[in-house]
Amino acid sequence: MATREQIWNTYVAETIQALAPILKKGGYILDNEQPHVVGERFLMQAVTTTSGKKLILLGTRIADRKRVVIKVSNEKAGISELKEERKVRHALKAIRFAYRTFNSPKELFWGKKKGYAMFIQEFLPNSPTFLERPVKEQFDLALSAFKGQEGAHATTYAHQRFARRYFNEKKAGDYITSFEGFVQYAEQNRIAEDLFKLLQVTLMYLKENKTDIERYQGFLTHTDFVPHNFRVIDDSIYLLDHSSIRFGNKHEGWARFLNFMTLYNPDLEEGFALYMRENRSLEERHSLKLMRLYRLGEIIYYYITAEERSSGDLKMLNHERIYFWGCVLKRILHDEKLRTNEREAYIKKRDALRSPEEKMRQKGLH
Amino acid sequence: MRILIATPLYPPDCGGAALYTKELAKRLSESHTVRVLHYGHLPEKIEGVKTFSVSKRYPLFLRLPSFFFFLLKEIRHADVLIAENGPSVELPVLFLSHLTSKPIIFHIGDRDAHEYAQKKGGLRKRIEERAFSRAKTTLPQTPISRPEILPFRPHPTEKMTKYEESWKTHLTRLTHLFSYGN
Repeated sequence: MATREQIWNTYVAETIQALAPILKKGGYILDNEQPHVVGERFLMQAVTTTSGKKLILLGTRIADRKRVVIKVSNEKAGISELKEERKVRHALKAIRFAYRTFNSPKELFWGKKKGYAMFIQEFLPNSPTFLERPVKEQFDLALSAFKGQEGAHATTYAHQRFARRYFNEKKAGDYITSFEGFVQYAEQNRIAEDLFKLLQVTLMYLKENKTDIERYQGFLTHTDFVPHNFRVIDDSIYLLDHSSIRFGNKHEGWARFLNFMTLYNPDLEEGFALYMRENRSLEERHSLKLMRLYRLGEIIYYYITAEERSSGDLKMLNHERIYFWGCVLKRILHDEKLRTNEREAYIKKRDALRSPEEKMRQKGLH
Repeated sequence: MRILIATPLYPPDCGGAALYTKELAKRLSESHTVRVLHYGHLPEKIEGVKTFSVSKRYPLFLRLPSFFFFLLKEIRHADVLIAENGPSVELPVLFLSHLTSKPIIFHIGDRDAHEYAQKKGGLRKRIEERAFSRAKTTLPQTPISRPEILPFRPHPTEKMTKYEESWKTHLTRLTHLFSYGN
C-alpha cells in the first residue's frame, strides 16, 4: 500500500506533467526544482483555513524572463481555497475602515484551464530572509505589520457586514470550541497524561477568561503571520498567503508569530514582550497570552494529526514536536520563559530527525 | 468635581483619539470623579472610573438615541461634560445641550473627523458647527502622543518628559475651563 508521501509525490508529478504544456501555451515555464512540494510538504494541512490540496510552484514568464509563483489546484477544496484567497486579496484593498493598506505581489493571471485553477503572481525575492536581518529591523517590520492589521477594526454594523461578506470571522466562543476539539482529539489519541491534563487546564483558563478574548475580537488578523508567508521589499511587508487572513482576536496573528519566534528567535520574542509591557494595556497583554495558549493548543493538535500520518524518523520528530510545544505551553501558562536548554535540546533532536529533503526545503525559508 | 466624558472612540479601539480619551479619564480620575460614556463593547478598564457602553453593532437609528438617553441620565450626576468630536457624539450632545445647563466642553481629538466634516460640508459640517456653538468652549489642543518604548533602542527619556509636560499643560487648561470658562 502506498504511503501518504508516495501518494503526494505521485500527485505532484502528475500535476506538473499535465500543467507544463498548459503553462507553456500561456507563456510560462516551470522551474526544474520545486522547493515548495518536497520534504514535509505532504503532511502539511493548514488547520486555520479550508485546507484544500494545492501546489505552489515556481516558474518564469517566457516573454520577459520574470520569475513567477504559480498556485494551482484541480481539486474542489483546493480551487475553493484559491478563490477565497483571491477574494480576500482584493477585499484587503477595499477595506474603508482600515488605517493602512496592505501590500501583495502583483497578480499576473487568474483562470481555469483544463480543470486546473491557476493563480500566477510575481515572485518576490527572499534575500536577505527575515531572520537574517538585524533583530531591530525584524522588530520594526513585524510591529509595523501588526499595527497595520489592528488598524482594521470592524466595529459598526456596516463594518461587520463588509467583513462577513469577504472574510472568515472567529469569535471568542469559536476559539473555545476549537480548543475543546483539540483536547478531545488529544484524548482520543492517548497522548501522555501530563500533557493531556495541561491541555485541560489551559481550556479551563481560556473559558474563565473568555471576556479578554472577546474584548479584542473583530480585528483583521493574519493567522499564519510567519516569515515564510511574507516578504520584505523596500522596508515594507508583502503578504504572500492571503488564505489565513480573517477577522478575529487581534492578537491571533501576534500569537502565531511570537510562538514561532520562541523557537527561531527568542531575542525578538523578548523584544515584543518588552514592547507589550511598556506600551500596551494589561487587558491587551492578557489577550495576547490567551491567544498564544490557543495557538499552542492548535499546533499540538496539528502535530498529533501529523504523527498519526507519518512513519519512521518523521513520526519520531512529530512526537518530539508535540512535547516541545507542550513544554512551551506550560511555560506561557505560568508566565515563564522557555529555558535555553529546552529549546536547544529540541533543535538538536529536530535536526537529527529531519530528512535531507526537508532540510533543503527549509533553506532560506524564514 | 464630577466629570462625564462622552466619546465615539475608546480602547480597544485603536488610534490617537481613543488613547487620548483613556489617558484623559485616567489622569482626571486622580483628582475628580470620572465617568466615561462611549461607543463600543467591553472597554479597557481604569481603576476608579465607571464606563458605560453603547454598542456600535446597533444600526445608526438605534445607537444614536441610546447614546442620547445615556447622556441624559448620566449628566445628572456630573458637573461638566467633556465631549469628543465626531458626529455620533456631536448629534446627541447637541440635543442634550437644549435640556441641560451643565457646561459642555468639546475637544477636537479626532482631527481626521473634524477635517472631513469641514471638507465634506453639508449636514455633517452643520452638526459639528451647531454642536460646537452650544458648548462652553471648544478645545482644539491635544497633548502629544505618548512615545513608544521600544526594545533594541535607548529609552525615550526626553520625549517622555515632553509628553508629561504637554499633559500637564492640557490638564491645567481643562481645569481652568471647568472653573472659569474661556
